Amino acid sequence: MDFNFSEEQGMLRTLARDFLSRECPKTKVRELEKDEKGYDPQMWHNMAKLGWMGLVFPEEYEGINASFMDLVILMEEMGKNILPGPFFSTIAFCALPILEYGTVEQKSRFLPQIARGETIWALALTESSGSYRASEIRLHAKLEGEDYILEGDKFFVSDAHIADYLLVVARTGEGKSPEKGITLFIVDAKDTGLGMEVIPTIAGDRQYKVSFNKVRVSKNSILGDAGQGWHIVDFLLQRAAILKCAEISGACQAVLDMTSTYAKQRIQFDRPIGSFQAIQHKLADMLIDVDGVQYLLYQAAWGISVGSPSQLQISIAKAKASEAYQRICIDGITTHGAIGFSLDHDIGLYYRRVKAAEFAAGGIDLHRENIAAEMGL
Amino acid sequence: MDFKLGKKEEALRAEIRKFAKEELPAGWVGPSLVDGGECRDWEFEMSIAKKLAQKGWLVMSWPKEYGGQGASLWEQTIYEIEIAYWGIPGAWMGISGVQWVGPSLMLFGTEEQKKKYLPLIASGEPDGVWCTCYSEPNAGSDFANLQTRAVRDGDEYILNGQKVWTSAAHRARWCWLAARTDPTAAKKHRGISLFIMDMKSPGVTVNPILNYYGRHHFNEVFFDNVRIPTSNLVGEENKGWHYLVQALAFERRSTAPTNYGGFKRMLEKLVQYARDTQHEGKPLSQNPVIRYKLADMAVELETLKMFAYQITWRMSQGAIPTYEASRNKVMTDEVMKRMAITGAEILGAYSQVDPDSRWARLNGIVQSAYLGFPGQAIAAGTDEIEKNIIGQFGLGLPKSY
Repeated sequence: MDFNFSEEQGMLRTLARDFLSRECPKTKVRELEKDEKGYDPQMWHNMAKLGWMGLVFPEEYEGINASFMDLVILMEEMGKNILPGPFFSTIAFCALPILEYGTVEQKSRFLPQIARGETIWALALTESSGSYRASEIRLHAKLEGEDYILEGDKFFVSDAHIADYLLVVARTGEGKSPEKGITLFIVDAKDTGLGMEVIPTIAGDRQYKVSFNKVRVSKNSILGDAGQGWHIVDFLLQRAAILKCAEISGACQAVLDMTSTYAKQRIQFDRPIGSFQAIQHKLADMLIDVDGVQYLLYQAAWGISVGSPSQLQISIAKAKASEAYQRICIDGITTHGAIGFSLDHDIGLYYRRVKAAEFAAGGIDLHRENIAAEMGL
Repeated sequence: MDFKLGKKEEALRAEIRKFAKEELPAGWVGPSLVDGGECRDWEFEMSIAKKLAQKGWLVMSWPKEYGGQGASLWEQTIYEIEIAYWGIPGAWMGISGVQWVGPSLMLFGTEEQKKKYLPLIASGEPDGVWCTCYSEPNAGSDFANLQTRAVRDGDEYILNGQKVWTSAAHRARWCWLAARTDPTAAKKHRGISLFIMDMKSPGVTVNPILNYYGRHHFNEVFFDNVRIPTSNLVGEENKGWHYLVQALAFERRSTAPTNYGGFKRMLEKLVQYARDTQHEGKPLSQNPVIRYKLADMAVELETLKMFAYQITWRMSQGAIPTYEASRNKVMTDEVMKRMAITGAEILGAYSQVDPDSRWARLNGIVQSAYLGFPGQAIAAGTDEIEKNIIGQFGLGLPKSY
């Protein structure tokens, strides 16, 4: 057993930290909350040049063949800085399943574009209930000759407005269980049958309701096999849950750091408030949470990295991270006092992202239910 | 990074399982889940201690010359987890010898002390059973305030005073004892020395203190002109605080693994109980509230496991943990509290049944945890004290007391 990162991984982290603190200060985060696109194309381009989009792709698809754990490191740093933009949608939600389940043709066509930062992807999975369960997938795809016709609505589709392609989870049939009859389609986002309506969020990220009005998709645009798509959803949700945990882990660390620094500097009753046990014990609880989130994340990510993912470990990590993020932000804000409640202070940026982070790749209840099932309940 | 246990650890785990099946009565849950770690049948406990010694497990991480096997900290951690999981009694030889007296003597003891006391602990014999005299009526969390006085008289110290909350004093042959040797020292913690005391010395009186559910774990111990030979001083006079900090670190390292093992067993039993128990026409396991509660427990328990592994990893790298042992203690207390309270909720009306009654479910482990957890949270440092340490050494905050 070894909790250490390799030297190369340490270098990747330093590089990411330097790049993000330079290119993505909090002024940039605030600016992009108001920006129509919600991301900075120049920064996106620079990230691609560093090899981040193709980090885990093999060289034949213009990647650098790094491990899943490396991606985790990168996303921890992104979470620390609250990097806005479609990295998570494009890579965690879409590129990873294409890499695993795409045909050679699909991979050679889509992955190099993604690696070069030329295309943005979005996952259209959840519907009006916001649930990640197969039983909630109602968007219908009907076979007509060589094409499928897609009809229905998707909700909470992140980055749909800037996406070049959508990965769409649709129902093509009914089976003994809701998981049967699910098919994944790659849909060109320029299709005129698509309608988009923004769902404004407290995080200030970009989520959309996407309507599919007789959208025609060729059979060749299926990812994996028709009717057998749910295991791809399982695959992508496992990875996305852990990458979201990595973002949360970075964010939790950032909130703890800023709160601990503040507690050492803020003087009341002629001494730093961090010398009061009421404050110190809150910070101790935050540190315990941060450590727990990190180690559970690393354990689950390691399992994925070596090709033996554990649903139990993944769901434990995501449930813990989602709960801890909320606790840490609330304790962080109350430790800051009134200044923590103000628009100008950065801590609110993190708190406003708690719920978006929780629901990405499955909320706490979904993961609790997964854990219960894995325990044999 | 790598989160797989080694082949040696896996093999050890299998061997301990086999030992548990062969040596323990059928249906045994053991002292880690009932009785707060100590077996009610002391003779049985010591008979298992002897067998653990013969297996070479009792002090496995000690060097061969002192009766150990030179096992790695990883093997030690897995051993502790499995011992607690199976409820194997006798592993601690009272409460102190295996966990901190032995390791501390190896660092700070004289050759003579090492040769005399370490093999006694390693043998699993009653003469290797220890207790620890730290707390006093006016020295609890403020431990450096201790007032038991040791005065040098030729080649002896004369000891007077009182200790309290001393676990296993009624079982122990030897005592690991902190006393004041310099009452004029500028700072309280600079006038403390550490001793080895024979519990059979004239002038030692042990009185039982029963806990609020009537069990006898701890005692008060009085010293009336007790004579301790100077050869029983550990390290240098007045430098006891330094050794005590290290001994407490040894104690707190094993907190997470030993408790994780027991809690893991308990959670498995609660899951089985939920599956087997019909409530209002269907198994409890189908009740979403019960499912969520058990899932939450699994999350916290897994966190404790990672903490146990992480501190083992840090120490096996040669690092001395700073705040991690305190973090693990706080997490252990949190998990135990959750296990107890949620476990009681799952048992419903049966959570009020006396754990020894024939009506008790799951051998009374839930009620035992429920009764025991507030005490466990205090032993080896209250959560409040542990959080002070985390704040100061984990986050660099100013001293808060």
